[in-house]
Amino acid sequence: MIHSLNRRASMYGALFAMIPKMFMAYQLWFWAGLVMNIISITILYFFWDAIYANATIISGLTREQTLNYVLLAFFFMPLVSNDLLWEFGSNLREGLMIHHLLRPVNFQAMNYAQQLGGLVTRMAFQLPIMLLAMFLFDMQFPADLNTWVAFLLSALLGFTAMFFFSWLMACMAFYTTEIWGLGVLLEGITIFFSGSLVPLAMMPAWLRGIVLSVPFAQALAVPVGLLAGITPVSDAPRIWLIQLGWIISMWILSNLVFRVAVRKITVQGG
Amino acid sequence: MSVIEVQELGKEFQVPQKDPGVLGAVRGLFRPRYENKKAVDQLNFQVEAGEIVGYIGVNGAGKSTTIKMLTGILMPSSGTVRVLGRDPHKQRVENAREIGVVFGQRTQLWWDLALIESLDLIAKIYDVPPARYKEVLEQFTETLELGSLLKVPVRNMSLGQKMRSELAAALIHQPKVVYLDEPTIGLDLIVKERIRDFIKKECGSKGMTVMLTTHDLGDIEELCQRVIIIDNGHVIYDGPINTIKKRFGKFREITFETAENAKAPTLPAGAEVLAAEERKLQIRFDRTVSSASKIASTVMSQMEVTDFSLSEPDLAGIVKQIYNGALDMEEK
Repeated sequence: MIHSLNRRASMYGALFAMIPKMFMAYQLWFWAGLVMNIISITILYFFWDAIYANATIISGLTREQTLNYVLLAFFFMPLVSNDLLWEFGSNLREGLMIHHLLRPVNFQAMNYAQQLGGLVTRMAFQLPIMLLAMFLFDMQFPADLNTWVAFLLSALLGFTAMFFFSWLMACMAFYTTEIWGLGVLLEGITIFFSGSLVPLAMMPAWLRGIVLSVPFAQALAVPVGLLAGITPVSDAPRIWLIQLGWIISMWILSNLVFRVAVRKITVQGG
Repeated sequence: MSVIEVQELGKEFQVPQKDPGVLGAVRGLFRPRYENKKAVDQLNFQVEAGEIVGYIGVNGAGKSTTIKMLTGILMPSSGTVRVLGRDPHKQRVENAREIGVVFGQRTQLWWDLALIESLDLIAKIYDVPPARYKEVLEQFTETLELGSLLKVPVRNMSLGQKMRSELAAALIHQPKVVYLDEPTIGLDLIVKERIRDFIKKECGSKGMTVMLTTHDLGDIEELCQRVIIIDNGHVIYDGPINTIKKRFGKFREITFETAENAKAPTLPAGAEVLAAEERKLQIRFDRTVSSASKIASTVMSQMEVTDFSLSEPDLAGIVKQIYNGALDMEEK
């Protein structure tokens, strides 16, 4: 039993650890991404700064609260943007999916380990952005330990819920083989619906209703709301419970759909 | 109990039918039509432990489809597959632990990682004990000459280097059953030779059960005692390689280009005209009865020859001849 657990931990650990290595393979990509991010965060900052030029409080949020929220949301963007859909798409198009399915591993667990590896790697690559945001735009992290615990757990739960939701979307690749359109659409939806551009509190009630009925915000706006102090920490247990509900429902659905979709695999030729 | 048991196996694919023209494309959007194509139909065979079986057929005959059903990736449309007593599709993970697969046209290694990192990861996934892994890796490094490749990312490798790496990756966990789908495709003779040696040594001596698909009859001759030939999804021959070799191995074809239109020449014993076209003459002869030089000099003495070439029978030719009843006649 212990041996089996050890073995699994070591295997998933290895799957997790290979992701940073693959990231490092493309240095140019890293630098280009960094420049893009610096431009984006600068625009974001001055955009919100301009909005607060004539008001001190909008939808109950002060200038400092809003700016801190959007900066933090930008920094923690990797929480909501996994690349499962692209992964499935390229794997299916290039016929690599069969190799993954030939491994004696739970395919979903393997992907989760790797997406978690991707999350940590991408967060590490966000560090220059963090320094920039802290020293240039005065981004603040809370000093309170409880807030951090509430945030970290909520972030992990939200990320996991989003993973299963992305899995569901990624299964479309079995039917369409081409996922470029869906991928771009989903990226756009993610940026808006995750609450990375506009705090949820500023959305009209009907829009907030829609945003909260899909899981994107669970991975970003909800945990970052805790970290930015917009949501009180006393709300955390209720939030965790809702996120757990998302995880369970998405986990069941994603497995049902995958079981059907995988039969569609047609690897002709060769 | 056989290691691989295939009964009444069938696989149908839906192939979308597109009408030509803009109108056809629009119609396809609203009412797509599909045609069912049987890639594999009513397949029956068994493979015993330790056998190395050549599984051959022309392109599109259904070889890869069969292999993919045996590995559990594809779900059969009909019939049953048992590998080591398991249903490979339903028990995918358990089955995967016992098998090793090489698809000659695809790579299972991580493109951006150095070979050694891929191998380390694979050993972890298959739960190979560290001591055993070290031992096998050392041995593979020597027999496949991987020493200089271990630190190279797979994307920077040549085809031959990649294939040697693939074989190491597929066998590092010492599987009971091995599927090799065109492992020598596109390789030069030296690499081919090395890979055949490796397969013979690794699989043959360790009692692994191997199914090998290939277009190269040389692979089959060197590695297999038994061949299964399929065509259009059906088994058309299942038996010892010797029968095939005896029947077809002794024949050679010689093609002459002639200055004038060729007329049927008189030939020595053991030779026959296959085709006589305009300025082209194709002759088949029995190597054990006659020789290429004898045929050539006979033909040249009767007409003016501008060029000629000698060839061994290829797979397509053999399949065609089996259809024409070549093997039935032999057995009677």
